[in-house]
Amino acid sequence: MLTYMIRRTLYMIPLLLIVSLISFSLIKLMPGDYLTTARMNPQITEQTLQQQIERFGLDRPFLVQYWFWLKNVLQGDFGTSFDTRMPVFKTLFFGSRLMWTVIIAMTTLVLTWIFAIPIGIYSATHQYKPSDHVVTFFGFLGLSIPNFFFALVLMWMLVVIFHVGDRGLGVAGLLDSRFFDSPFSWAKFVNYIWHLWPVWVVIGTANMAGLIRLMRGSLLDTLSLPYVQTARSKGLTERVVTYKHAVRNAINPLVTTLGLSLPGLVNGGVITAIVLNIPTVGRAYFSALQRQDEPVIMGGLLFFSLFLLIGNVIADFLLAWVDPRIRYD
Amino acid sequence: MKKALILAGLVFAFSLAALAQGYDAMPADALVFPIGVAGTVYEDMDLGVRGGTLNVSNIEDPRGWNNHTAHETSTTWFTYRMHRGLVNLDHISGAVVVDFAKAYEISDDGLVITFHLREGIKWSDGTPITADDVLFSYNDVVLNEDVDCNSRDGQILPDGTFPLLEKVDDYTVTFTLSTIYRPILNALSFNLMPKHKLAEYVHKLNPDVPAGTFNETWTLDTPLTELVGNGPYIVTDYQVNVSVTMERNPYYYGYDPAGTQLPYYDKVQTTIVANQDVSMLKFRNGEIDVYGLRPEDIPILLPEADAKDYSVMITDLARYGTTWIMINQDIGIPDGTDAEKRELYRNVEFREALAHLLDKDTMVQNVLNGLGTAQWGPVSVPSPFYAGRDVYGGPITENNAVWFEYDPTLAASKLDALGVVDADGDGWRDLPSGAPLTMEMNTNDNTIRIAYCLIMQDDFRAVGLNCNFQVVDFNTLVGQLFGSTGDIIMLGLTGGDEPNSGKNVYSSCGSLHAYRYSACEEPDEVDLRIDELLDLGANTFDLDAAFGYYTEYQQLLAHQLGYVYLCQPTFQYSYYNKVGNAFMASPTSTPAGNNGLLTELCFDKTLL
Repeated sequence: MLTYMIRRTLYMIPLLLIVSLISFSLIKLMPGDYLTTARMNPQITEQTLQQQIERFGLDRPFLVQYWFWLKNVLQGDFGTSFDTRMPVFKTLFFGSRLMWTVIIAMTTLVLTWIFAIPIGIYSATHQYKPSDHVVTFFGFLGLSIPNFFFALVLMWMLVVIFHVGDRGLGVAGLLDSRFFDSPFSWAKFVNYIWHLWPVWVVIGTANMAGLIRLMRGSLLDTLSLPYVQTARSKGLTERVVTYKHAVRNAINPLVTTLGLSLPGLVNGGVITAIVLNIPTVGRAYFSALQRQDEPVIMGGLLFFSLFLLIGNVIADFLLAWVDPRIRYD
Repeated sequence: MKKALILAGLVFAFSLAALAQGYDAMPADALVFPIGVAGTVYEDMDLGVRGGTLNVSNIEDPRGWNNHTAHETSTTWFTYRMHRGLVNLDHISGAVVVDFAKAYEISDDGLVITFHLREGIKWSDGTPITADDVLFSYNDVVLNEDVDCNSRDGQILPDGTFPLLEKVDDYTVTFTLSTIYRPILNALSFNLMPKHKLAEYVHKLNPDVPAGTFNETWTLDTPLTELVGNGPYIVTDYQVNVSVTMERNPYYYGYDPAGTQLPYYDKVQTTIVANQDVSMLKFRNGEIDVYGLRPEDIPILLPEADAKDYSVMITDLARYGTTWIMINQDIGIPDGTDAEKRELYRNVEFREALAHLLDKDTMVQNVLNGLGTAQWGPVSVPSPFYAGRDVYGGPITENNAVWFEYDPTLAASKLDALGVVDADGDGWRDLPSGAPLTMEMNTNDNTIRIAYCLIMQDDFRAVGLNCNFQVVDFNTLVGQLFGSTGDIIMLGLTGGDEPNSGKNVYSSCGSLHAYRYSACEEPDEVDLRIDELLDLGANTFDLDAAFGYYTEYQQLLAHQLGYVYLCQPTFQYSYYNKVGNAFMASPTSTPAGNNGLLTELCFDKTLL
């Protein structure tokens, strides 16, 4: 098992190299570059534009640019953002972006599981009953409504229907403005929760439907197995059969999705973060994409790729951990 | 001993307090804004009181705190409030007015501009501001090729040289020009930077630092206590993607006629809101005090205005910039094709026919919800040189403003006269030779531009012109513009008060003269006259004379139809009535974007 994990970890290196080359090529295939908008500024001369092209190294051939980038990365220098003039990862993680990305990803994951697993169990144990259809419907509603639209509607309801402004409560962002430069306090913590719950609802409901259906399907499969019938014939209550025996096995496949869902949570909530005004790494990356800030795009791609690969390794590890039948060489 | 320590501590505390309080009295050389003074553009404004916090929003985060290396309004909105220059553009009229300089003179030959600086004025950390700071800002930052400076190009004189800045004494400097060049006054509004804080980062002053170090100075990760400015505010707090807090500069030299030091508001709290729908919701929720609204917001905001005590200001003043279609007069040159089409596009009669097919009233009503004006020329409407304003030498009458009325019948007859008729009976007009004429019209993914193009496509097709509209990526569109490919491109350009800032666009060899790059090699009479007028307008400090030259310039370009202008949205905004003087916001005070609010002249009415 240890050997397998080490081998998987080492495989990441050539994978990341290939990802970086493909990503760099795709960036260069995009029309224009970071200076395209500057070219449309009547007050900038050709000479200044040329100086900037040389300063950013945009006049070098594609492979030369990639080689210089790779050489610097291998020395730990991921470059400087064209936009902010700060190092790439400082730009991506500036301030509290990484902290909030992790907080939102983790809390959303926990809350999604807290709600999705019981709903999935309920749905499986009440198969085809009206209540099963109702919970399934709401699960899919969360999945089918576009996140940005849901976020806007939620805020609209808070402002226009519930008039939260009259109660001194704000919408979007992390805090009401009166707390921006105030020290940490209980009131400030409560205000954080007030601003974060729409994020959890929007992102969480989008992720819940898949998990509900997975839990439901897995439990239905498990409940039809012979050992469950044996347990029932031995006189165990349905509650014990379901929760002590069936759920424990049915939840195994879902555990592996934990690792796979991590990268999605980190970078999948970009539009929601933009609409709800939350500082996240994904949002910084999105800005870099819009402006074709190449060093940040490449640095961000490496970061998210690494997250994905680590997520896959975690998924494999968890699967082996919960299911003793699975062993890797 | 204990008593001595306590006394020393008290003295120290009082000293700090004294430093933080600013000037002991209004400096003799203070800049007095004529608030409420009859006969000035500020006469309708009210005197205010100090205190309170103004809450505004911005759509993007700043990308640094260094004004000279900033290239975007999301940054300059803040840096403009931290730093000011020798001169400024008046918030209302757009005319060049003194700012940190208290006066300036121009020599009789027009080649030497002498600036007299305000004495006794300090940076926000209490250090006196002198001519050394001006020399540092100009010679060592603006003109320094190591610095990725956004204002250097504006300093270039027609012969390619730069003005020579020299110090006469601690409070007097001169700029010597090689040729008379009036636009240099606008360019000399570059922001002053503190030499005592920043000289160490300039390689030519401190060889120990690598060249280009200044470009990475005052980035977002700089401790905010390092920021020093001479503007009304200083940034004191920044939470990424959340907020920027600015507090008053205790040494700002602006005052009102009653002797009250500006700004009135103690703080400006800017919430970063990336989505404009969310900005509007926050405004309705009372979280932000001012909102630069869109036409579609008006029917939502108007009904609640009285109940929530805010005002919705709808003006008829167009925003800066131009929106146009460009009929490519160099089509086919890159690949040696389309000679007949090129000849047709170069015929001004054909372009006039297309101009008569532009239904600008429908565009304004349907696309801008009635909140826009038609454009006819290259100079932004808020500019004092716009043929029609009365700041310099004007107004000219409506008859002098050239326009092409929407007249499909006239357009069709012009096309017929050119031989652009349906030769093969397929319902579409053809080239004079009988070959098919198909026009591709492109724009980028912008809802307003797409709407304009759809209207134009319908009108072109209605008279038999086979026009196909397609949305393309912005970068691809810019590539078409510079590569002289494509038939018709719909885009826009930013604008300003100084017509000469459009030289790159309208002079025959300009890098953005995209409608006919070949004019550089083969200029016609109109091209030559436009080049001449740009120089004449720049080579005089007589503003009335300059206005005359630019009037002819605008008429020629309106006739030439190189860029055929469409419509520009008008400026509107909303504000809570507790914000005093907010009603005076205008697009003219948007050199740094965002709402056009004169932040330093607004005040909290609830404190009265």
